[in-house]
Amino acid sequence: MRITSSVFLLLGGLLAAPEARASGIKPDYSVDALAAGLRVNAHAIIRDQDEVLTVKSVSRTVSTVRRVVTVLDEAGSEWGYILVPYDQLNTVSYLRGTLYNAAGKSVRQLKSSDIKDFSLSDGFSLANDNRGRVADLRQPIYPYTVEFEYEIVSSNPLFYSNWQPQEQEEVAVEQSTFTVITPDFLPLRYKEFHLPTGVSVAHTQEKALDVYAWSVRNLTALEEEPDGPPISEVAPCVRTAPSEFEVQGYHGKLDSWQNLGRWSYELNAGRDVLPEPVKAKIAALVQGEADERVRIRKVYEYLQANTRYISIQLGIGGWQTIPAATVSTNGYGDCKALTNYCMALLKAADVTAYCALVRADKPDIQTAFPSSQFNHVVLCVPLQKSARPDTVWLECTSQSTAFGYMGSFTGNRHALLLTPAGGKLVRTPQYGAADNRRERTTDVYIDPQGSATASVRTVRTGMEQDSYEQLMHNLNATDQKKRIADRLPLSSFSITKFSLTANRQAALPAIVEKLELSLPSYAPPSGKRVFLTPNLLSRLPAPRPMTGERHTDIWLENAFTHADTVRIHMPAGFKPESLPGPVQVKTDFGTYSTQLQALPDGSLLYVRRLQMPATRFSRTQYAAYQEFRRRISVGDKAQLVLVKTDI
Amino acid sequence: MASTLLRCLSLAVVLGCVSQLPAFGQADPIKFGKVELKDLDEKNFVADSAAEAVILCDYGRSRIDLVNNSFRVSFERVTRIKILKKSGYDWATVKVPLYKKNTQEEKLVNLRGFTYNVVGGQLVKDKLESTAVFSEQLTPNNIIRKFTMPNVREGSIIEYTYIVNSDFLFNFQDWQFEHEIPVRWSEYRVSIPEYFDYKKLMQGYQSLAVQEHTEGTTQMTIRSAGGFSGEFTHGSGREQASTETLTPKVDNFRWAMKDLPAFREEPYMTTANNFMARINFELAGTKMPGRPYINVAGDWNKISKELLEDDEFGGQLSRGGFLKDKVATIVAQHADPQARIAAIHDLARKSVKYNGMDRLYASNSLRASFDKHSGNSADVNLLLIALLREAGLTVHPLVLSTRSHGMINTSFVMLANFNYVVASVVLPDNKQLLVDATEDLAPCGMLPARCLNGAGRLVLPNDQESAWVDLTPSQHFTEYRQINLVLDEKGGLSGKIHHEHGGYSALYHRGRIEKLGEKKYVEEMAEGHEGWSIPKYTFAERATVQKPLAMDYEFTSPGGDAPAGTLYLNPLRSLSDEKNPFVREGRMFPVDFGAPMDETLMVTLTLPAGYVVEELPKPIALELPDNGGRFVYNIAPNQNTLQIVSRLNLRKAVYSAEEYASLREFYTRALAKQAEQIVLKKKS
Repeated sequence: MRITSSVFLLLGGLLAAPEARASGIKPDYSVDALAAGLRVNAHAIIRDQDEVLTVKSVSRTVSTVRRVVTVLDEAGSEWGYILVPYDQLNTVSYLRGTLYNAAGKSVRQLKSSDIKDFSLSDGFSLANDNRGRVADLRQPIYPYTVEFEYEIVSSNPLFYSNWQPQEQEEVAVEQSTFTVITPDFLPLRYKEFHLPTGVSVAHTQEKALDVYAWSVRNLTALEEEPDGPPISEVAPCVRTAPSEFEVQGYHGKLDSWQNLGRWSYELNAGRDVLPEPVKAKIAALVQGEADERVRIRKVYEYLQANTRYISIQLGIGGWQTIPAATVSTNGYGDCKALTNYCMALLKAADVTAYCALVRADKPDIQTAFPSSQFNHVVLCVPLQKSARPDTVWLECTSQSTAFGYMGSFTGNRHALLLTPAGGKLVRTPQYGAADNRRERTTDVYIDPQGSATASVRTVRTGMEQDSYEQLMHNLNATDQKKRIADRLPLSSFSITKFSLTANRQAALPAIVEKLELSLPSYAPPSGKRVFLTPNLLSRLPAPRPMTGERHTDIWLENAFTHADTVRIHMPAGFKPESLPGPVQVKTDFGTYSTQLQALPDGSLLYVRRLQMPATRFSRTQYAAYQEFRRRISVGDKAQLVLVKTDI
Repeated sequence: MASTLLRCLSLAVVLGCVSQLPAFGQADPIKFGKVELKDLDEKNFVADSAAEAVILCDYGRSRIDLVNNSFRVSFERVTRIKILKKSGYDWATVKVPLYKKNTQEEKLVNLRGFTYNVVGGQLVKDKLESTAVFSEQLTPNNIIRKFTMPNVREGSIIEYTYIVNSDFLFNFQDWQFEHEIPVRWSEYRVSIPEYFDYKKLMQGYQSLAVQEHTEGTTQMTIRSAGGFSGEFTHGSGREQASTETLTPKVDNFRWAMKDLPAFREEPYMTTANNFMARINFELAGTKMPGRPYINVAGDWNKISKELLEDDEFGGQLSRGGFLKDKVATIVAQHADPQARIAAIHDLARKSVKYNGMDRLYASNSLRASFDKHSGNSADVNLLLIALLREAGLTVHPLVLSTRSHGMINTSFVMLANFNYVVASVVLPDNKQLLVDATEDLAPCGMLPARCLNGAGRLVLPNDQESAWVDLTPSQHFTEYRQINLVLDEKGGLSGKIHHEHGGYSALYHRGRIEKLGEKKYVEEMAEGHEGWSIPKYTFAERATVQKPLAMDYEFTSPGGDAPAGTLYLNPLRSLSDEKNPFVREGRMFPVDFGAPMDETLMVTLTLPAGYVVEELPKPIALELPDNGGRFVYNIAPNQNTLQIVSRLNLRKAVYSAEEYASLREFYTRALAKQAEQIVLKKKS
């Protein structure tokens, strides 16, 4: 996959192909031949998939795939369709399709004129070379079976196939095999994940060739569950990678993170030369500034003010940056170009920085298996003059991200630092429950008719502010207001005033949101009583109710702290009839507390606090987790009843 | 279709030409390369603080030239934009879509651009380099040229100009005045020689600052290169190379709009394109020298004839014979026309799967689509019409425009505005039934929601008998719930719910179930209901699409820890977690739901023994003006139960922007009523 700023296209998992079947017996693809258990929870069943990766040389691989799928219903119909991607470094030798009816009889073969060719514009690149061949055999009547065969010749062996026989939920697998054939002087590297018991590699040698083969049978359909791991974390997978490779004449070794990092470093080496006037400008910018951190900040602010993100991904340009001098002329570049440019600017300010590859906006890389798993690059600046070890991390593609902040896009994960000595795996900044905060103060004023106004001040820090940072910088004021209105969990209201301000100077970026709300019929009197929920805006949505047994573990990935103070100013002539009692819930999943008290001035004060760390639990804990969430729900909707005092 | 139009034109064009720019009295509103100093001064943009960028001037000119023996449309544009914020950087990347077919094409030429910045008090100008221009081949016929401006910063002015030369005279360049950022000045000038007659349709909610029409002449030179030539020469044999000068009259138009605010999309809109200020063109006819007027678009008579004769439309309607055995079986089985129509509808949708493309024309012969079992909406519905005819029914095509494609102006005939065809079947009582076979989950006689867009036109051989057909459906978004709740003395609830989704609601929910599966569908439905558990659920009529989809389920929701002396509850709020769909205060454009809506809740609440009613919400009835809708809420005690009825109807499919405020208020009051509490007390 390319090093772009964000990635919508994945090439890795799709590459692979068919082996001439050894026996001449045509397999039975009738639907009747299916084992009944495979249909449970499945929209489609992979009947037979053979994927063969042949390593031809250090610079060329051939991947062939034959896939037979029975489509059971409309929700599985995407399996009746296939898209085979290609680009300047990958060509499709052939793509064929055959349709079988429910009885397993071949009824139609696609002609070459039926195969369509599309540009796979990713929606954000100014230019890329991604294209796709498409074969479409979707049918109006279910079930039916399709067979697709294709071959991809790659001159980019940085990527070998990853075998994921069950890459989506609600798909069962009758049989799937994966074979890698490689010359003995180019040994295969591989790692197995979540293979079913009894499944392991079969390694044989044929003359000077090493052959590795895996096969699985009868995998029943999996389902993703709320607060559970993604399917890729539970389904079987074999990752493979070369021990050495060559792309467009750039030779590299991939037996360690260090060597992968070395290849990437050398591919981009020497591209950080700046024109003299730019160097002089930077030198002037930081002149006389002794504090290292301030120097870095000044350079970063210069970068943010003078460049913008434009993605251009062509051929080796998916991994190699355009020169820093070009960025300084045009004022734009992709993540590689802007990061490399920033590194060059810092060098001109006498600060040493390193590019660092990350897998952004997706689950972290598999650290135990060195291979190219990255889609983005950031800049890492170890402080040299600091008393204790300290590092500044810079996101160079954004004009609005706060200095030194990574956030949910690139924080809490591993990065491969590219140094002259090779790659080094490090951690990006961690953001925990204490960092990701939402602190809200609300004053609600209720009039005797039951209408109310509210002033709300919300401070969000860390990852809690990420989406608001986007909102604030990417939308104009009109759209900001609409978006904020859409997010408010109230049935009827108007926003009479609002503002968003960012504090980018603090150690963690913060955004302050101020809202003035008008709430018609917020607490209408019902006879002599008035009902209201003191928790105006901060209810945690209820979890999905359980409708069956829990299969997967509980993954709580978002750490946060929410603190609320609500002051309720009651209309004259009412007093509380019943006040909900205090709630205290302390569990391993998190802590929750609420308290409501009457103040001497006649107003009421509601205080709520919810903190949840990032943790994982066994599936057996799910009932306890549900109970925790239920208690929060009950606490959040607790009602306050006021009665008229003058009757 | 296009090919017919082009045939008409090629008659006239064996010419060469010298053309000249239209002679306008007015000076150009912008000169490329001449940036005005006031546009660099931030003081002049204080009022635009909400905008990410401002179009200072957008100036287009189109004219018709003769080049290499063909007429061509030449469109020249100069655009200048002030970038105010980082979020406006996207305006510095420009995409120009170009089309080609066979040897005819659109070409982008003379692209130039500059970015202007003030650096240290100096005006700095950066040129758009050719390395920043890219081309993307979307499909064999569609290319996008893309370019991005250099050194764009907050405060930059970008400016670019280009010419698109087009061989497609039917596709005269439209002009959009309004954009998602404010526009200071947008002007379009058009000059059309008398040989061409274009219809012009102005749309949107903005008014013109300038509207001028002058007449002039231009000079065109016909060059005959010797050798055989066609239309303009008579007799036979070789011709001498010669030239002839023509001086056609030219119509010069000038339209401009001034100080347009940023265009904003709103919820329940068909498509933003319908509401933006723009002018559209369609070729209506040609009148070549010495030849009579040839009407190429024009009236419905002509369009109907053309459609019915087109091989990709009417030409297919008699080609359903390959399924005649199946049709004969259906005819033999079903004497009743309604049943026969339904059976043919079923045959059509099981024969060809709709591939998601909405088209007016078939992509293939009906037979070929049948063999593939796949096709666009026209492949499916033209087959449907052919089969219905094969079954002896009187059926006509009805053409329409889908919601995302844009609305139809019934007083203005433009074939290009249509993108869809359905079957209109004449029933024995002379009523008509509109039938579409693209949706698996819609019953016969129900149009897909995407078709609910104003009116459609019947395509008949004799247009005198044709008419516009209102597409507002008889089916509504219908929700009906009958609920039995039992309350215990801790405030816990257990309930049995019978929920029916009818009409368009059924179509939507059947689609969700198909996509999610029953289990996930139920989980999704229950989401947001705190503490609910759903031990049992059953669906009925999932496959019987002509009936409402029914779901029966039970739920329990726990109460407090101990019995309470006073119990408070609002059962309707806990059943529907609804939010006023009209959260935004104002509205510029109509609210278009596509179909009317009915929502009924009937609740029987059984009280715990020993508890009596202390307070009940008062019944109300709310009406929208002009009989536009009604909300009724009733509650009545009956021994140890309470009967609650809540009914909400929106009787119109479309509400005007003026009605928005009352619609919003109506929802606010209805939701507030549903949120009112019931208070119960334990008898002492």
